[in-house]
Amino acid sequence: MRKAICTTRAHILGLVILLGGFSAQAQDVVIVTNKGVLISHITPAELKDIFTGARTRFADGSRAIPVVLKGGPVHEVFLRNHLGDNPSEFRARWRKAVFTGEGSMLKECESEAALLSYVTNTPGAIGYLSRAVDGDVVRVITVSP
Amino acid sequence: MPRRLLLVLACFCAATLKAQNFDNIQIHGFATQGFLFSSNNNYLTMNSSTGSMQWTEGALNVTDSVTDKLRVGIQVHMYQMGEFGGPNLVVDWASGDYKFNDQIGVRAGKIKVRLGLFNDSQDVDSLFLWVLLPQSIYPDDNRDYDLAALGGEVYGDLRLGSRRGSLQYSGHVGNTTLDANGGYMRQLAQYGLVFPSPPSGSTSGGDLRWLTPLRGLTIGAGAANYALDGAAPAFNFHMPGSLNVVYYAQWDHGRWHLAGEYYRSPLRFVINTGDGASALINDFRCWYPMLSYSVTRKLQLGSYYSVMSNHAGDTSLPENYSKDWVLSSRYDFNPYFYGKIEGHFLHGTGAGYYNDTNLNGLKPNSTMLAARIGFSF
Repeated sequence: MRKAICTTRAHILGLVILLGGFSAQAQDVVIVTNKGVLISHITPAELKDIFTGARTRFADGSRAIPVVLKGGPVHEVFLRNHLGDNPSEFRARWRKAVFTGEGSMLKECESEAALLSYVTNTPGAIGYLSRAVDGDVVRVITVSP
Repeated sequence: MPRRLLLVLACFCAATLKAQNFDNIQIHGFATQGFLFSSNNNYLTMNSSTGSMQWTEGALNVTDSVTDKLRVGIQVHMYQMGEFGGPNLVVDWASGDYKFNDQIGVRAGKIKVRLGLFNDSQDVDSLFLWVLLPQSIYPDDNRDYDLAALGGEVYGDLRLGSRRGSLQYSGHVGNTTLDANGGYMRQLAQYGLVFPSPPSGSTSGGDLRWLTPLRGLTIGAGAANYALDGAAPAFNFHMPGSLNVVYYAQWDHGRWHLAGEYYRSPLRFVINTGDGASALINDFRCWYPMLSYSVTRKLQLGSYYSVMSNHAGDTSLPENYSKDWVLSSRYDFNPYFYGKIEGHFLHGTGAGYYNDTNLNGLKPNSTMLAARIGFSF
């Protein structure tokens, strides 16, 4: 029941995010995790390692499951600001892992609403959104050295 | 023995598929079609001097994350390049992977061998700007021998602190077999050495790379030891352990990508016939620098200069060296489809050419146009 309520709230918040739009040039993204993740901040290196597959756990030892958008300005801002990649480089990085047997492709979502819903309902999930959301469904964490 | 191990692994994969839900199963694949046209000489057994499209590749893999630490998977691959390869599917890799933590994991089965920048990924065309990787170090005619081993690997990632970067390491032991339809077997056949089954032998090695604190700069080194033995009714073939070493660096800076490698491969073969033993000695020294630039998100341009020379012979003779100056471009139509085109300015005949597909003799220089389209998902 609680999961269903969270999912509904995530969908509503996702719709708000979608309608709010995003200026790719002006903003950075907001890093969010599942509520069960017990960290409040992450270092730039840790964040990059998790989204490039070099690290599979948060600093507290719990499992990290990265999730990204399939494309769009929010995705590109996240890649540029936090990984230093463009979408092609990011895709090649993960395809290398997939086709050499070293890893599996990370989860991709079609929309921010879907990403928010996934993070809300998946223990250990970490993703990004164009703007801050209600802290009741996901945890917003800061990126600092 | 290798087939038995693969069978056990396949049964293990099948059992895990049956035992749990399918949410964690992923299927990926790629397919490519290539084209070569050269001014002189036929390259890589293709009829490139008249233009050839005898170059098709494809692969399909299935992976399953059984738990958050255990992953199993298999990839089948086919390639037809001129007279190399064939229509049959072969197991590219098939492994079980248990990651204790980010610092250490183990992998067993048929595993890709990490050695240098591109050894483990050299058959995945979609990853690269280049139609042909530098053939001095990554020869397409011989890649199946270097690409994978039947055995085990330990790997991991060690963080050295925020100001020191991190170390990625891997070490492997296993067994490799020459590709029955590959370049080494063809070269041996040109010496009259025809085997009822391809020679095989042990391999072991490792790779260590430092992801430096300077953003985008990676420096590394690797080594692999290879031994081979084969037998035919009239002779025995023996290659004692041969240590190949590689040193490399790459730097990604904004839209620029810079990389280079130096590779040395001293090889000594001994052939025993009823009349006595003879030895064949090679000392290959190979290197390249490469530079590329992302003009837009869809368009990349680049160039490399690839050199191979056999220092066991007279390096002034064309048959003992190969130098290739390359200009290349790639365009990504969308995240799945791409096309590439590149020009090669080849000097020397020490790599990529075979006498039986160049019956009129080899000319020392050639220019070549290479193109490739591909699809990956």
